[in-house]
Amino acid sequence: MKPAENIKNLIKNLQYKTTRETHNRILNNLQKTLAESQKTKPATQTNIWRIIMKSKITKLAAAAVIIVAVGLTLFLLDLSTTPAYAIEQTIKAHHSVRYLHIKDFKAGENEPKQFWVEFDNDGQVKNIRLDFPKWAGGGDGAKVVVWKENKAQIWFKKKKSFVTVWDKTVAAQFLKMIEELDPKRAVERLYEREKQGKVKIEIDEPSDKTEPIVVTATYLPESSTPGKQGVLFVNQATKLVTAIEFYQLKDGEYKYSGRMEFYDYNKPIDARMFVLDSEIPPDAMRVDQTTQDVGLLQEQLGDKEIAIEVVRQFFQALIAKDYAKAGRLFGGIPASKIQEIFAEFDVVRIISISEPIPYPIPGVGGFKVPCKIEIERDGVKSVEPYGLAVRPVYGQPERWNIHGGI
Amino acid sequence: MEDKLLVYRLKAGSEDALKRIYEKYENYLFTIAVNLLHDNAAAEDIIQDVFMKFLKAIDNFKLRKNLKSYLATCTANKARDLLRKQKNQNSNENLHEKDMASNSKNPIQLIMQTEMLKKLAHALRNLPYEQREAVILRQQADMKFKAIAVLQNVSIKTAQSRYRYGLDKLRSLLNSEVQK
Repeated sequence: MKPAENIKNLIKNLQYKTTRETHNRILNNLQKTLAESQKTKPATQTNIWRIIMKSKITKLAAAAVIIVAVGLTLFLLDLSTTPAYAIEQTIKAHHSVRYLHIKDFKAGENEPKQFWVEFDNDGQVKNIRLDFPKWAGGGDGAKVVVWKENKAQIWFKKKKSFVTVWDKTVAAQFLKMIEELDPKRAVERLYEREKQGKVKIEIDEPSDKTEPIVVTATYLPESSTPGKQGVLFVNQATKLVTAIEFYQLKDGEYKYSGRMEFYDYNKPIDARMFVLDSEIPPDAMRVDQTTQDVGLLQEQLGDKEIAIEVVRQFFQALIAKDYAKAGRLFGGIPASKIQEIFAEFDVVRIISISEPIPYPIPGVGGFKVPCKIEIERDGVKSVEPYGLAVRPVYGQPERWNIHGGI
Repeated sequence: MEDKLLVYRLKAGSEDALKRIYEKYENYLFTIAVNLLHDNAAAEDIIQDVFMKFLKAIDNFKLRKNLKSYLATCTANKARDLLRKQKNQNSNENLHEKDMASNSKNPIQLIMQTEMLKKLAHALRNLPYEQREAVILRQQADMKFKAIAVLQNVSIKTAQSRYRYGLDKLRSLLNSEVQK
């Protein structure tokens, strides 16, 4: 035998096969187990319809601020390589979306984000519900958002706060998403990308018509999102997508990053899903910014000037024990809550309000307004420094208010 | 692509998908298990356990990388578990040498290579388990050192060293075998 410089190849040849008996025995056991598991499974949903989309909703920041970012990626099909399965079939099926329920799974997390969307007869978004599990809630923990008629209601479960705000952002972003979902536009985009050589499409169509068509869309280096890959599962009967898995190229491999599953297409969603009130416990703090004038109108004042003015009027309201006004300036929280917060001492006078500085936490916006306030606690007066956070009211940029803690 | 489809179909209860997955990876996993354990009966048990576990968890199964390396990792883990339970491994007397596969086409080459493979199998048995595992998982399971390191709970460098030492020792063992 020569020196074993080819030992690696030799090792590869060191292969074994199971005996026929072993093969049959194990396979039989597996088949029995599969058959038993199928008996105990609930019947699978027969009317599962799908759309092609990907969305990512970022965290809803605390204290009645909603930041929703919907990132979309469409993975579309190449007609020229599909003799039997044509993309128009999927498009036609997608054309009359009325209701949609989406589960958005992230690698490493068991509980998905869930979205329910209802469209009106004109194809416009009518109702949205977003359920964020704890992992998806940013610093807020688990929360639920319901949107309709330009109002968003947010139920912060951990903070036991139920906040209603004016919002056009969520609506606009969902409308944008719907535009992206429009099959006609999607096809145009596909053709464009295909012509530009930005996307490579592979289609695997099983001969068994009960099995889904699997479409893999790989974004090429020439695309704006190279290294992304989406795998679509298309129901052969309905020509609608049942799920999309997302992969990202890393270290030479496409690594799983998430999965979206599509349910209940055109199956009416219970209207109660879009009404949160019944889910809110009685002891939760309720803040409705849509039924009161929250904060102050900026009018001709500069940003720093209005920030100072909000702080000044807030403390003046506390000095006057006008808790309702103080509450309106403080995000619209109830007077009783303000009274509770300031129960331990009285605000006597404003010593000073300094130049506002940009709020130190990125993304929060507005200013921190340093000030010194004289307070009286148990008959003893003292001067305390505060730094109030002031910024435009969410959804009402012409108004400014205090947010967060003091 | 095919594995994704098979997993999807299996989730939907397809017996055909189950059969295809099993037949696709059966001998691949059996080879890994035999080379790790040198015990055919134990290797059979392990591949049954691996497939059974995979099947029972299929509803919640998410194919993060590829099915082949997932199953190979499961097999290696099962082999480790078994070794922990049975410190003293059986000899490989029951190795099905007749089942040894070879890519050689020439009958003389086939005989020679089969003989070499027997020696290699013998040499593998004499490697420390960690080195044998690194060699087998790298060369037969095509696993990356990173994955081997995770499985062995060591650094990548250690996994690479084990692999390198394992190969060196195999060369040494095979050469000394020849010199006898």
